[in-house]
Amino acid sequence: MITPVLLAALALVLSGPAPALLGRSGWPYRVPRAAVTLWQALALAAVLAALGAGTALSYSAAGQPQAPRFDPSAPGDLAAAGVLALTALVGIRLLWAAGRVAVGTRARRKRHRDLVDVLATPDGLVPGLRVLAEQTPLAYCLPALRGSRVVVSVGALERLDDGELRAVLAHEQAHLRARHDLVLEAFTMLHTAFPRWVRSEVALEQARTLVELLADDEARRRGGPRPLARALLALAGSPAPEAGLAAATSATVLRIQRLADPEPRYPWLSAATYASAAALLVLPTVTVAAPILKAVAEAVS
Amino acid sequence: MPTDPKTRPLGDLERLVMEQLWAAERALTVREVHARLSGTRELAYTTVMTVLDRLAKKRLTERERDGKAWRYQAAAPREGMAADLMRDALDRAGDRREALVRFVDQVSDEEAALLREALSRLETPDR
Repeated sequence: MITPVLLAALALVLSGPAPALLGRSGWPYRVPRAAVTLWQALALAAVLAALGAGTALSYSAAGQPQAPRFDPSAPGDLAAAGVLALTALVGIRLLWAAGRVAVGTRARRKRHRDLVDVLATPDGLVPGLRVLAEQTPLAYCLPALRGSRVVVSVGALERLDDGELRAVLAHEQAHLRARHDLVLEAFTMLHTAFPRWVRSEVALEQARTLVELLADDEARRRGGPRPLARALLALAGSPAPEAGLAAATSATVLRIQRLADPEPRYPWLSAATYASAAALLVLPTVTVAAPILKAVAEAVS
Repeated sequence: MPTDPKTRPLGDLERLVMEQLWAAERALTVREVHARLSGTRELAYTTVMTVLDRLAKKRLTERERDGKAWRYQAAAPREGMAADLMRDALDRAGDRREALVRFVDQVSDEEAALLREALSRLETPDR
């Protein structure tokens, strides 16, 4: 009975207090790449622990191996079946949410790209660049396995000098190359899989900021911090023509402030973060596997 | 970034064909679109047919039968499609939000002041 309790406790800690704590901390921003890995490990471990807890509980509630037959009149067997069904339901819900997000995201992206291709003019500066004849300053990318696009509006071009434009393009190309959208998509899937009253924005929010920092680092390596910081201000600080768009995003302030410092190098913090990520994945796996291994060892001896 | 060398020229044509349809006051046949585009470049009739067909599949054009031929028109005026595009590009809500990754979101005035302050520290050389 100890395994399901351990796993359930682990699932609770990993889906509640752990993300909340991590979300409030500042150090993940110092090691964005390792922090993204840690968040991924945390999410995966929470799912593994929750599913593992359900399976282990139903296993230990059911009759002993001597009586392997399912007996509908035994309360233990009924409870086991119920727990197993509930666990399966959680798993199915996760898969369903993942599929819905994946299909929806691709449909929206495809429609958007079709519109971009007939409305915006190609520009040879970087592959896949399209210039949109709109005054609203705007720069974004449309990720894809093949035929990704970087879209920049005329309004944005007017606000940027050559170096700043290059910084923006380097930033967007870093997103496309590293497929940061897939990282964010995975967190969105997890986020939408849970009902509104249990889920929290914290993992998705911090993941969004972290991938921006990763792309910023890449752009900084290409052209130095100043053009990038100026481009950020030029595109973020211009008066917003759309109502409701001016919501505070402190991530932008963090990004510029971070560029003011030399490129961060924290090898120890980074190594410790990667080690925690690995430990997080090993923990639920070993907890699930330990009783099985023990049983095998007993059977052999 | 991989761009498919085979579809690129066609993609460019899609835009040019749409521009012809937007400029026209009525629905055009393949022959008419071909004639309007041939003024500027050498183009096979079948290529124009393929492009119009692709645009219809993407629901960017609508077509109707006129005797033996199809007549094509843009599914919406250019301004309408541009407005759709911008609305989608600026939309931050929903679980399909990660469809596109923006460089930076626009910020409030107070935050813009913070940004300027941070930038001026960055621009000071003795730091």
